Amino acid sequence: MDFKASNKRWRQDPGRQKRMRPKKEKKEDMDPDAPLIEAINGGGMDLFPELVRRYEQKLYNFGFRMCNNAQDAEDLVQETFMNIFKSLNNFRFESKFTNWMYKIAARVCLKKRRKKTVADEQNLSLEDLAARFRNQAPEETPKWARQPIDRVLDSELAEIIKRTVALLPPRYRVVLVLRDMEELTTQETAQVLGISTANVKVRLHRARLLLRDKLQGYMAHA
Amino acid sequence: MHDPSHEPDPDCLELFKKLSAYIDGESDPGTCEKIETHAARCIKCSICLETLKQTVAFCKSLPDEPVPDDFSKRLGTVFAHLIKSRSG
Repeated sequence: MDFKASNKRWRQDPGRQKRMRPKKEKKEDMDPDAPLIEAINGGGMDLFPELVRRYEQKLYNFGFRMCNNAQDAEDLVQETFMNIFKSLNNFRFESKFTNWMYKIAARVCLKKRRKKTVADEQNLSLEDLAARFRNQAPEETPKWARQPIDRVLDSELAEIIKRTVALLPPRYRVVLVLRDMEELTTQETAQVLGISTANVKVRLHRARLLLRDKLQGYMAHA
Repeated sequence: MHDPSHEPDPDCLELFKKLSAYIDGESDPGTCEKIETHAARCIKCSICLETLKQTVAFCKSLPDEPVPDDFSKRLGTVFAHLIKSRSG
């Protein structure tokens, strides 16, 4: 198999490039929530439930992926909307509403009781992770990494992924959830978490490597 | 990573650090070329790249967690009360 040509084809695939390209923002659709928020802040408080309906699914996903627990996800959604309810009139569109919402949700989530994490892996350097991979790597690309997603990703694997993500150290987990699950851009994630884009990239890479190692271990014994 | 009994090739380690940026399309063309050339001759790095790509694809493909109906209703009730008390 010509790996170089295959990777180049993968990188240059127009469908993939379209998915990866940062969304262009026109002035008029910079924040699709602006009309609703302006209406609520202009006295239409009875429209607030519309904002809840619009984002309860997104926040619930975020909460569930951060905690892997329905009760914690519900608590996160309710507390985040409570905070939004109290401070929406101070929101000045300095960022997109959704980024502000995720910022509140991330703060609520990280404040909650610390879950058991993969503690001894928190300080592993990239050199350590590379060495570990080198020592544990299979002899050839495993079947699970060669097959189309829909053939491998069944409900059992989805459960394993969610459980493993919930055990990642919180500072890596939140970046992985925002970037790879909620599909925020690197810049948006940096804005939500108040960290640099370089820091987002470092944490994301480490989170993916930790997750990949766990999945590899699981798949080897599946 | 050519020989598991030795320390990794410095090229392997250098490229290992850049794989996520490559997957995200955030690498410059020169780095992409380096990664592709290296992965074509280094089986361990190639496996590392393929398994990492698939891990990212899994995360992006996870289905939504459906919001429980009763929670949605409770949330609606909580805010209906709050709005009433604020406007009253």
